[in-house]
Amino acid sequence: MSSAKIEFRDLSKHYKDVLAVSNFSAQVQSGRVTGFLGPNGAGKSTALRCLLGLVTPTNGSALINGGGYSQLEDPIRKVGAVLDSRGFHPGLTAKQNLKVMASATDINFSRIDEVLELVDLAGTASKRTKGFSLGMKQRLSLAIAMLGDPEILILDEPANGLDPLGIVWLREFLQKLAGEGRTILVSSHQLAEMQNTVNDVLIINKGVLVARGSIKEICQGGSLEEAFLELTFKK
Amino acid sequence: MSQLLQSELRKLTYLRANWLLLLWSGLFAALGTVAPIMILNSDENRLSGGFSGTSTPEGINAVFANAASGYLFALILGILIMTNEYRHGTAVGTFLVTPKRSTVLLAKLMAASMAGLVVQLFSFLMAITSGFIALTFFEPHAPVAAELLFKVFRAAAISGLVLGIVGVGIGALIRNQIAAVTGAVIWTLIVEGLVVAFVDSIGKYLPAGAITGLVDVDFGKNDFNFSIDNYLTPGPATLVLLGYAALFSLIAMRTTLRRDLD
Ligand SMILES: Nc1ncnc2c1ncn2[C@@H]1O[C@H](COP(=O)(O)OP(=O)(O)O)[C@@H](O)[C@H]1O
Ligand SMILES: [Mg+2]
Repeated sequence: MSSAKIEFRDLSKHYKDVLAVSNFSAQVQSGRVTGFLGPNGAGKSTALRCLLGLVTPTNGSALINGGGYSQLEDPIRKVGAVLDSRGFHPGLTAKQNLKVMASATDINFSRIDEVLELVDLAGTASKRTKGFSLGMKQRLSLAIAMLGDPEILILDEPANGLDPLGIVWLREFLQKLAGEGRTILVSSHQLAEMQNTVNDVLIINKGVLVARGSIKEICQGGSLEEAFLELTFKK
Repeated sequence: MSQLLQSELRKLTYLRANWLLLLWSGLFAALGTVAPIMILNSDENRLSGGFSGTSTPEGINAVFANAASGYLFALILGILIMTNEYRHGTAVGTFLVTPKRSTVLLAKLMAASMAGLVVQLFSFLMAITSGFIALTFFEPHAPVAAELLFKVFRAAAISGLVLGIVGVGIGALIRNQIAAVTGAVIWTLIVEGLVVAFVDSIGKYLPAGAITGLVDVDFGKNDFNFSIDNYLTPGPATLVLLGYAALFSLIAMRTTLRRDLD
C-alpha cells in the first residue's frame, strides 16, 4: 500500500484499433496540485474516465485510496470531478441541477448555496443553465464537484474556453483548494496557464507516460512549454 | 434507493417539457373519445350503418375504450427519462454520484412506471370527461356502464406502468433521443396499429393488442371485422404486458451496466 491518493497501475485502454492509454503507471500525492499534461488525443480524458469508473480499462487499474471508484462509499464526498461533457441539464436552473445531485445522496440542500457562493454563481442560481456562458458552465461544473466537499478533485481541462480573467480566477480557486490540503489532479493541453498553478507534473503523449516530477525538476529553469515540447517530440 | 428515486422524480418534475407532454397526453386521449362520438353520429355513418352508434352499448364501448389510448405518452416519457441522460451528458454526473449503475437503473425504472401511471390516470380522466361532455350533444345515448369505465381504467393504469418501463429499455438501447422517440411514435401510431387491426394472430401479442384484450369490451358492428374474441382475455393480456416490462427492464440493465461513458 502506498500513501498515494491516486494511482494508475499499468493502465491500458483500447478502443477498437486505437490504443488510447498504454501501460500507464503513475502516482499522485496528496495535498498537491498535479498537472496532467499532454497534447489533444494523448489519452488524458480516457485515463481520468477509467479513474472515475466511467470507462472499463482493457488492462491494469486506476485506483483512488487504493481501490476502484465504484467501491467508494458515498463517492462524491471523497472525490469531486469536472469532465468535458457538460454534466448538467440545460432546461434546469443551476440550483435545480445541484438539487438533483444532492438529493441522490444525503447532502443537505444548504450546501448548495455554499458551493454556488464558492464559484461566484449565487446571483444566477435560479437561471436556466442553457443561457450560461462557457465560463459560467465551467464554474457550475466546479460547484457540482465541490458539492460533497471532497478531499480529492479530478478536473479534465477545466480551463477550456475560459477567457484570461476566468483562467486567473480558476488558478486562484485551485490554489485555495490545494492550500486547504486537498489533492488535485488537473488535465490540460494548454501549458502556459498551468505553469503557475501546479506543483507536480505528469506528461502523457500517445497514451504513454513520458515524464513525471515536480514542476522544478521538469522545467529546469525553462518554461513548461519548452520542457513539454522537448519531451513529446523527442519520442 | 428512496433518495435515488427522489432524485429521479426531481429530474422529471423540474422539466417543463414533461408537463407539456402530460398535457398533450390528455388532449390526445380526449380526442380519442370525442372524435369517434362525432364520427358515429355523423349523417354518413347513420345512413350507411357502418358502425354501431352511440345509442347502442357497443357504440359506447367503442368510444370509451379509447380512454386508455394515452399510453404512447407513457412510452415517450420513459424514453425521455433515459435518453435525457445521454443527450445532455448528465449520465456521467448521475453515475459519479451512484457508481452502482443497476441501482440507478432500478430508480429510473420505478420513476418511469410512476410517471407512466400518472400520464395514464390524467389522460383517462381527460378522455372520460370530454367523452361525457360530447355525448350531451347526441342525446339519447346508451348508458355508460360503471363496468366499462372500470375495465378501461384498469387497462390505462397497467399499460401506463408497463410502457414507462418499456420506454426506459428503448432509451437505454437506442440512446439517441430523436431516433428513439420517432421510432416509438411511428411504431405505435402506424406499424403496430396496422398489425393489430389486420393481422390479429400476431397483433394480439403486441403491446397495443394486449392492451385491447385487457380493455375487454365488445365494439359491435364495424367496418374492420374487428372482434374482441380475436384478442387475449384480461388475465393473459396482463401477463403479456408484464412480460414486456420484464424484457425491457432486462434490456435497460444489460445495455447500461458495463458500457463506457463519454
Ligand atoms: N469512445 C471512444 N471511442 C474511440 N476512440 C476514442 C474514444 N475516446 C477516446 N478515443 C481515442 O483515444 C485517444 C485518446 O483520447 P482522449 O483520452 O480523449 O485524449 P485527450 O483527453 O488527451 O485529448 C484519441 O485517439 C481518441 O480519438
Ligand atoms: Mg480530453
